[in-house]
Amino acid sequence: MDKRNQQIMTGNQAVARGFYEAGGLVAASYPGSPTVEILESAQQYPEVDAQFSTNEKVALETAIGASFAGVRALASMKHVGVNIAADPLMTFTQTPVRGGFVLVSGDDPGMHSSQNEQDNRNLAKFANMAVLVPGDSQEAKDYTKTALEISEKYAMPVMLQITSRICHSRCLVETSEREEAIQDEFPRNVPSYAMIPPNTFDKQYAMKERLEKLSSHNDAIRMNALKEEDGADTLIVTTGLTYYNFKEVEEKIKPVSILKLGMVYPLPEQWLKGLADKYKNVLVIEEMTPFIENELKLMGITCKGKEYFSFTGELQSEDILEGLREAGLTKEEFAVRSSDDKTEKHVTPRPPLFCPGCPHRPVFDILKKSKVMVNNDIGCYSMGLFPPFEAAHSLISMGATLGISTGMLKANRKAGRNTPLVSVIGDGTFFHSGMPGMVNLINTLHPEDNLTILLLDNGTTAMTGGQKNASTGKRLSEEEKHVDIPQLVKAMGIEDVQVLDQFRYKETSEVVKKAIKTPGLSVLVMSRPCALHFKIKEPVFQVDPDVCIACRTCIRTNCPPLRMKEYEGQEKLKSSIDPSMCVGCSICAQVCPVDAIKRPEGGKRNEND
Amino acid sequence: MKTINVMIAGIGGQGLVMTTEFICQAAFLEGYDIKSNDVIGLAQRGGRVWGSVRIGEKIQSPNIPEGEGDLLLGIEPMEALRWQESMKSEAKMVLNRHLVYPTNVQQEQEAYPQDEIQHMLESFDSLELDALMEARKCGNEKAANTLMVGCVSHFLPISEESWMEAIRRTYPEKVREVNEKAWKKGRDLAKEAEFI
Ligand SMILES: Cc1ncc(C[n+]2csc(CCOP(=O)(O)OP(=O)(O)O)c2C)c(N)n1
Ligand code: SF4
Ligand code: SF4
Ligand code: SF4
Repeated sequence: MDKRNQQIMTGNQAVARGFYEAGGLVAASYPGSPTVEILESAQQYPEVDAQFSTNEKVALETAIGASFAGVRALASMKHVGVNIAADPLMTFTQTPVRGGFVLVSGDDPGMHSSQNEQDNRNLAKFANMAVLVPGDSQEAKDYTKTALEISEKYAMPVMLQITSRICHSRCLVETSEREEAIQDEFPRNVPSYAMIPPNTFDKQYAMKERLEKLSSHNDAIRMNALKEEDGADTLIVTTGLTYYNFKEVEEKIKPVSILKLGMVYPLPEQWLKGLADKYKNVLVIEEMTPFIENELKLMGITCKGKEYFSFTGELQSEDILEGLREAGLTKEEFAVRSSDDKTEKHVTPRPPLFCPGCPHRPVFDILKKSKVMVNNDIGCYSMGLFPPFEAAHSLISMGATLGISTGMLKANRKAGRNTPLVSVIGDGTFFHSGMPGMVNLINTLHPEDNLTILLLDNGTTAMTGGQKNASTGKRLSEEEKHVDIPQLVKAMGIEDVQVLDQFRYKETSEVVKKAIKTPGLSVLVMSRPCALHFKIKEPVFQVDPDVCIACRTCIRTNCPPLRMKEYEGQEKLKSSIDPSMCVGCSICAQVCPVDAIKRPEGGKRNEND
Repeated sequence: MKTINVMIAGIGGQGLVMTTEFICQAAFLEGYDIKSNDVIGLAQRGGRVWGSVRIGEKIQSPNIPEGEGDLLLGIEPMEALRWQESMKSEAKMVLNRHLVYPTNVQQEQEAYPQDEIQHMLESFDSLELDALMEARKCGNEKAANTLMVGCVSHFLPISEESWMEAIRRTYPEKVREVNEKAWKKGRDLAKEAEFI
């Protein structure tokens, strides 16, 4: 094996590498698991302009502008991000694409880190785009390049659908040199690039024709891998990682022919029909929706798929074997499930929790104690839903909390109720898609409506790894440009805007409780930064077991260093703090009713980071 | 060569992703095919995290089939316990004695599964050590995972030279030396404990 050009890469790194090699110039993204590292990896290539945008719509628009200007462009986002970007996408797709345009959609079968499990192949079809599906890092790199070529050749945007597993898995990748691919400047061709009727009429035909052209061309076939087995009467059709998971169990099944699709839309209809005709059975193995299965059925190919394989979650080798067994395709010795079907032992779950010193901790401790109704939003503060806080009651999608509270207030008013409501939203989410909900509040609320908005300005987009957002600058230096959230909210016509230091627990608690009691709209900006990305290094705290009355108020703040433990000479369990984890934020000490938590004399800071 | 399957289990913030990369690099330098995976789940804030590395002639899927694990690195003991069923009966495991309590245990709703962990240690060929403390002695407790990799390195057909080069490729300059030291320390500790 020639190893000089081989590197170990994750799927995310490989996409960035493919974009670089293909001469890509502008990459735009909004952070979200599983695709965050695509942009972060692209930033390592000085030839590429790679920046995060305020949200996915702006990222997609940035890539559109770059493509208009004749350079190869990439927009990467989490699957749900494509929903945010869908408006420009659905219209941009009508235009004859110039610079190669690839939209990378990070899908999440099994929802490892997402609020839903949407299969964006369906969205791509809706947008008249081709869809490529890589199965490992090498393919992630190769397909990114192919996507850009196809995009230019057929003048269409192309989706690369990549799943969480592929994003985070590694394999050896063969690299090659970069080739530049810059075209002429934007042509000022209004009928082609200004999408108002009647310019849009013939575009409907153009979109149809380009897909037909691609599906009848070898380009739709060459990415497929077909292995035909003599005498086999079954053809398996699969794609992406599912193919490799299938390969793991191949030796346990009867001889079958196998087709691995590289491009899942559009499919080469004539070629596939000819192939399927040779087989008695066609079986599709794919994760999430029956996308390929339905496409085959639309062509008139009789096939099965979701009858045997789950429509949700990942399809691991074991799941594939189980489906094949049901379909009667396993070899005789594997036809019955091995008898030692293990009953999974219960091991206590380990959900994520707020870091030591997290600025969100006192906020949810206060909300929990106030028992108020809370509409939450998406960020680290989503964890306020988990025990022991359980201090929030709804969560839908980024920025949704303000609209949802507005609707609830209206409904309650009409129904003759006046329950006070709290909306919680972070700085990143506020910039992403929360601002319209805030602007919408003026002239919407009645004086008796009681809404308290807690704006958690922690200076970063923490949950996705601490990317900068418009509020970060003020934490870095005086000169750094930033958006001042309290000023911004005031400029939106909201009068009661207060800035609080939530590490002054009592004061914050009083202000929050008063706002909840008072009708009208209050915006309380919590100003402490994220403790993971702006480290707190204060002297650690310690519990005095002689003073501690074992009330567990501190324990309920869920700070990782805290736990009840046995002390010599103490009858009851008393609270304790692991000094190697405490960052000295003082919240536990402030909630203690008897002052049992103190900084020991000459107490040291924790120098770990 | 038969494929070797390595599982790594721990919690967010323990540097697991670097460790899977490190093992991949060493195996690659030795001339093997590799595939690996990291599963981080809903952000990394102290939640469960696991990684897998598969080393062999030709690897198809990065996922280790059920019951096929050869080596288990338990950076946190309870997290290792979760994977017990995924290991072969002759699998080897190294466990870091440093316990981190999940919310349920902190809130006194469930006990930390001390007995089950003990039982697992007894039923497998295993080594238990305080990797954090040992790594601290080498200069930085962040090298604990590398130290644990050193412990299991006896069971991987990879030369010391490749391991050392893999450290240079994976870790930033300023922590290279401490990782080299920790890896060697782990290798020696395993030998001393007759865990080879
Ligand atoms: C449409 C969409 N894009 C991206 C994400 C991924 N995501 C989850 S939380 C988050 C950001 C949260 O930032 P912020 O509101 O500042 O909260 P923090 O995590 O800093 O507390 C993002 C981008 C998502 N869930 N939905
Ligand atoms: S990363 Fe920051 S915001 Fe998120 S839990 Fe940790 S301290 Fe809190
Ligand atoms: S002072 Fe208390 S709440 Fe703050 S980090 Fe230390 S243990 Fe946690
Ligand atoms: S809050 Fe104070 S008294 Fe109550 S358990 Fe904690 S340390 Fe003890």
